Amino acid sequence: MRHTLIALVEDRPGALNRVLGLLRGRGLGLHSIAVGDSETPGVKRTTVLVDTESAEQTIKQLNRLIEVLEVTDVTNAEYVIRETALVKIQAPEPRRAEIRTVTEGFGARIVGSSAQTVVVEMTDTPDRLGEMIKRVMKIGACETMRSGSLAMALGGPARRAKAAGSDDANQAWWSQADGVS
Amino acid sequence: MTETASRFSPPAPPAAVSAERTGAQVMCEALVRENVEVIFGIPGGAIMPFYHAMWEYRDRFRHVLCRHEQGAGHAAEGYARSTGKPGVCVATSGPGATNLVTPIANAWMDSTPLVAITGQVSSAVLGKDAFQETDITGITLPITKHNYRVSRASDLPSVFHEAFHIARTGRPGPVLIDVTKDAQQARLVPDWNTTLNVPGFRAPVDIDPRALREAARLLAGASKPLILAGQGVIISDATPELLSLAEHTGIPVITTLHGIGAFPEDHPLSIGMPGMHGWVHVNRAIQECDVLLSIGARFDDRVTGKASTFAPRARVIHIDIDPSEIGKNVKVAVAIIGDARAALRALIDEMQPRNAAIWLRNIRETQATHQHRQPYLHRPDTKELMPHDVYAALNSALNGRGGYRVVTDVGQHQMWAAQLIEWRRPRTHITSGGAGTMGFAVPAAMGAAIAHPDETIWAIVGDGGFQMTNQELATIGQEGIRNVKVAIVNNGYLGMVRQWQQLFEGRRYSGTPLSGPSFAGLAEAYGLRGFTVDRIEDAEGAINTAWDHDGSVVLDFRVEREANVFPLVPPGLSIGEMITREAPA
Repeated sequence: MRHTLIALVEDRPGALNRVLGLLRGRGLGLHSIAVGDSETPGVKRTTVLVDTESAEQTIKQLNRLIEVLEVTDVTNAEYVIRETALVKIQAPEPRRAEIRTVTEGFGARIVGSSAQTVVVEMTDTPDRLGEMIKRVMKIGACETMRSGSLAMALGGPARRAKAAGSDDANQAWWSQADGVS
Repeated sequence: MTETASRFSPPAPPAAVSAERTGAQVMCEALVRENVEVIFGIPGGAIMPFYHAMWEYRDRFRHVLCRHEQGAGHAAEGYARSTGKPGVCVATSGPGATNLVTPIANAWMDSTPLVAITGQVSSAVLGKDAFQETDITGITLPITKHNYRVSRASDLPSVFHEAFHIARTGRPGPVLIDVTKDAQQARLVPDWNTTLNVPGFRAPVDIDPRALREAARLLAGASKPLILAGQGVIISDATPELLSLAEHTGIPVITTLHGIGAFPEDHPLSIGMPGMHGWVHVNRAIQECDVLLSIGARFDDRVTGKASTFAPRARVIHIDIDPSEIGKNVKVAVAIIGDARAALRALIDEMQPRNAAIWLRNIRETQATHQHRQPYLHRPDTKELMPHDVYAALNSALNGRGGYRVVTDVGQHQMWAAQLIEWRRPRTHITSGGAGTMGFAVPAAMGAAIAHPDETIWAIVGDGGFQMTNQELATIGQEGIRNVKVAIVNNGYLGMVRQWQQLFEGRRYSGTPLSGPSFAGLAEAYGLRGFTVDRIEDAEGAINTAWDHDGSVVLDFRVEREANVFPLVPPGLSIGEMITREAPA
């Protein structure tokens, strides 16, 4: 089953590599991953779409990684999911009107063009992007590029990611764990 | 502190007034601050600045020059497993570092606190396929708790502090620190006022009181309860608490291969080892029990057999400090996340005294049918020296004399040791379990021997595993280590594979017959004592001679070549389906 996970990951060298390596090493099917800055410097917010029988095991394994600060499975929560696609369509002059009609029908917009092609940008759910791409492929040859899905839960307050070095995120337990300083 | 500067040395550091150090000196000082007393390693180009600085710290910690980095890593593991403190190994870049991969993987599988330090080529040439450049942090990503590449010397104090903290805290494991040569050479005034910056390294939270109450309720209502104790009990030093809980409740105790020693086997509630080569009465008890309390064990497939058929009637209570172990291999009714000792203490407080005398009697009746005269279990009637004879002699020497630890390797001899020696104390049985690394025993015994110079450290090893790392006998000689006694159970085969070929593959002994030199002669060549033993009546005397000899010894026991380990659960089957003896010829 496909699960939508949102992870906060420290922005350190190799951190993304560790996340990907773990998914590969444990035989999990990675469908898409999107990584970008969160509102907190030094912390990346990441959306991972993964095919796994046990999302619980995946989350626990991700949590073992030192740089992974938090993982949430929003699959069964209320959440929005969005992805951006760029589609370059072979577009000789006579077809341009049709392309414009179809893509505008999907809420996509033409963001560039050349003598032979137009480039369309669309941001929507992955399913709607798929439909749009399928439709324009009937008009002409296409080259597509997709960003990977971004997901965000609707419930709960807007929560700022804790800074990686902040006291509250940090110091809570290790001091009592072995008394080192 | 005054050194005779060689003409190859960099300029001597300025007079003592300056707090300036090299990165390499900072690395040494970090080890001193972490109370490291010994490190195992081999120098090479990219780690030379560290070795140069180490000379100044030679009174603060000992460096043991090994003959192969794999040996250095296993020696550090032996040190760690016998003391509970992190073991430290050092190698240079490239092949030095890749030779550490096997011990790092072994430490990862067996939750051993290990800090591996590797040199790396200078930042200026990093990524340019420089001489002896290997991406060791990339290679060890999936087999370390965490790893670091340090190219800024100012990061060294905090990285070393974090690395030791991560290696020993929670579920222990290996951490690798890869330091570029220029970071070792850089001059800096180190800032030791480091705070740990590992927010993603999660705490063992307080023990959930509801889970505790539910566990206590299940245990109180059980008519056939069992305790399964794993290495977590040993790591947490929770043997006294385990004894209290067992005695308080009368629940029989099983110890896994890595749990051996967590509960004394001469205790009336100890029933033995489960799994592929576990006892019939133990596996049957697991299949019958109604509540199984697992403490610091991870339900490895060598314990569970076919996991879907494991303990079919049981509700499982799983105590573990690593949440990712809960529900990984078997379904769990109650999960208690936390330190084994804290969890056991809390559980004892929740439990009323009870007993399970009828259940225990049932188990003992099964045991009497299948396991009478344990040391000679299914010993064929032969005048040849059987492995069983060696273990009987070892068992009486070990338990008669005390003051020992035993390190075993991987294979038949390892299972016989687990079965045929009566284990009584934690950290006296050290083996390679999860990874099954042949070649572990000799170097790991060397590490344990350095940690415990007043004890006798036995390495029990097959002739296959012995020939993988026996060059560390040279290290034992050079370092003047006098308390390693190696017992080779020599059957001229890679015996466990041969046994499977015999039982499951029609005796096609493909790639398993194995020759070797005179191991006694080899020991003598390394400056140790060596003896060959091939008669039953000589086994005990040889062991006592080795024990009393003031120096390390190799005993080569030439045993019956086709002796097998029984009982045996064929791979992939339920632990209810055991082969208990040789099929009649």
